[in-house]
Amino acid sequence: MPSKIQKLEPDRTTIAIGLEGSANKLGVGIIRHHPRPDKSSPKPPAEILANIRHTYITPPGEGFLPRDTAKHHRSFVVKLVRQALKQSGVSIADIDCVCFTQGPGMGAPLQSVAIAARTISLMWDKPLVGVNHCVGHIEMGREITGATNPVVLYVSGGNTQVIAYSHQRYRIFGETLDIAVGNCLDRFARTLHIPNDPSPGYNIEQLARKGKHYVELPYTVKGMDVSMSGILAYIDGVANDIFGGKPKYTDDGAEITREDLCFSLQETIFAMLVEITERAMAHVGSQQVLIVGGVGCNERLQQMMGMMARDRGGAVYATDERFCIDNGIMIAHAGLLAYETGYRTELEDSVCTQRFRTDEVFLAWRDD
Amino acid sequence: MADDNKNAEIPLPALPEGIVKALDLTLISQGAEALVFFSQSHPFIPTHEAITNSPGFSAGYILKYRPPKPYRHALLDAQLTKHRTLSEVRSLYKLMLAGVKVPVFVSVDPRQGIIWMENISGPSLKKWIWGNEEVIDSQTEDEAGRAKLREEKIKGTLLSVGSEISKLHFMDMVHGDLTTSNLVLRNKNEGEMEPVIIDFGLSSQSTLPEDKAVDLYVLERAFVSTHPMHAEEYIGWLLEGYVAGFGRGKKTGVFKVREIMKKLEAVRLRGRKRSMVG
Ligand SMILES: Nc1ncnc2c1ncn2[C@@H]1O[C@H](COP(=O)(O)OP(=O)(O)O)[C@@H](O)[C@H]1O
Ligand SMILES: [Mg+2]
Repeated sequence: MPSKIQKLEPDRTTIAIGLEGSANKLGVGIIRHHPRPDKSSPKPPAEILANIRHTYITPPGEGFLPRDTAKHHRSFVVKLVRQALKQSGVSIADIDCVCFTQGPGMGAPLQSVAIAARTISLMWDKPLVGVNHCVGHIEMGREITGATNPVVLYVSGGNTQVIAYSHQRYRIFGETLDIAVGNCLDRFARTLHIPNDPSPGYNIEQLARKGKHYVELPYTVKGMDVSMSGILAYIDGVANDIFGGKPKYTDDGAEITREDLCFSLQETIFAMLVEITERAMAHVGSQQVLIVGGVGCNERLQQMMGMMARDRGGAVYATDERFCIDNGIMIAHAGLLAYETGYRTELEDSVCTQRFRTDEVFLAWRDD
Repeated sequence: MADDNKNAEIPLPALPEGIVKALDLTLISQGAEALVFFSQSHPFIPTHEAITNSPGFSAGYILKYRPPKPYRHALLDAQLTKHRTLSEVRSLYKLMLAGVKVPVFVSVDPRQGIIWMENISGPSLKKWIWGNEEVIDSQTEDEAGRAKLREEKIKGTLLSVGSEISKLHFMDMVHGDLTTSNLVLRNKNEGEMEPVIIDFGLSSQSTLPEDKAVDLYVLERAFVSTHPMHAEEYIGWLLEGYVAGFGRGKKTGVFKVREIMKKLEAVRLRGRKRSMVG
């Protein structure tokens, strides 16, 4: 029997443009949804028409500041929108709505992209749809991987959450009690003066592959929550000793290298993340895990999660950098899902919010 | 025995051979980190009579096994398994002596990550609430009627759950993973359920009100995520039982619980305000 949602969905294809700029990546994507051939069949896969990104990269040892990041987004947004339109081959008349990240994220970059979205919405006379960044990640991950009802580990520069769906919301089961995992990795990269190009996390992953010795670090799990700040302070201390001319040795007498530190940091914090994900899976009785967010590209994390899921008779779902790193297409996709159920963001309600929790969003497009 | 996530098809990490051969083990749950087996036999008292006739042990035994986790580094894995297993049995033993309702501890092998304990016969609080909600929702359409039924059927149990947790905190013990899966209900008499607290791998000793507040906050969040429709009501009852439980400890208890509840407010606020940068 067709559900309420299937009755709401339009009988035609729909197209959305999505603008993302909540951190240091500016992304513009264009997506097309096709209608169900008949009301009882599943929704056909979404079609990605364009997905373009431009990243603001800072010199080694420096993080990105809100003001400079916003300036970067302002300078590139027109160019990216033009490129996306051209690549997609759609005309402005074909577009149904303009989607943008309404939060969470850094204030100034969010606002600069929201202004761009409002402008094209007025210029083209298309409705606006504000999107929660985290929900964008989850919906895109589900669309690409086909995971139906997974426990979601959302790991990025600003977020660390274990999420599961229930009663039309993505509920947060566990999260970091202090800093996000991506933030922890980025800050350690700064301590080591590892380049930020293409991303600090990627460079740590490459160094970690060459690490051989496991250095014991604090391990902090509280139920389904984790804490990272103690680990960062500790390993920063070790690194500063080593580079300040006080070498450290393992129990077997081997000198500890920065590769070893990257390796040990990854092994420790990823073990914590896999553990809380497993705890959530046991609690809700799910066997699927979906990893989303920038840190989700890390192959070691994917591998560890895969081993855990296999022992539970399940599987891990992950996407590559096109989708797990912040992008415009996920905003277009999640925005279009909401649009199809009648959701619109009026101009006066289009203010961005730096804090916008995943469980605040009512998922009108799901009723399972 | 509690009956969570039974799934016989999963290829499971092997238990040490000697144990499997010697005993009648049935897998009843793949928990958050352990495999939990049920057994009729005691690990080292040989005759069956001895067990079935000893008071309190008629429900059989639980073997909780923390298998090696292939995903984590071997050093870290060995260390965590040993540490968690020992924390769990230390806490079980201390709490049993203090009269808090926990499974009676029988035996331990910390290197292998094996604990034997009493089997608690009854559903987890999670399943029990879900079951009750289903029955209530099928009985009437009317929300006022449902609310009344919830109060009748669920409130009493949650008051006693709160009270049991207060005993734990009163003796400066923190559970570390309070969820509705880690509370098992034992049939006392005529539909009255008695809560038993399990799963002490993340437990620790702490005199700080903050740590107890975090314990409660973790449980609150478990209610919000697992029982979202009536979470607030349930938490209200649970905390009512919790505060009342401290009151019985006279003056020190009242002072202690006031500090904890103040901290709980602060921890909640911190949670809501936690910066979430994309
Ligand atoms: N003593 C016990 N009596 C009855 N059931 C138990 C007992 N111990 C564990 N269980 C069941 O096994 C599940 C997992 O056990 P638990 O100790 O919570 O391990 P984990 O750390 O893996 O969650 C519990 O949720 C419960 O259903
Ligand atoms: Mg448990």
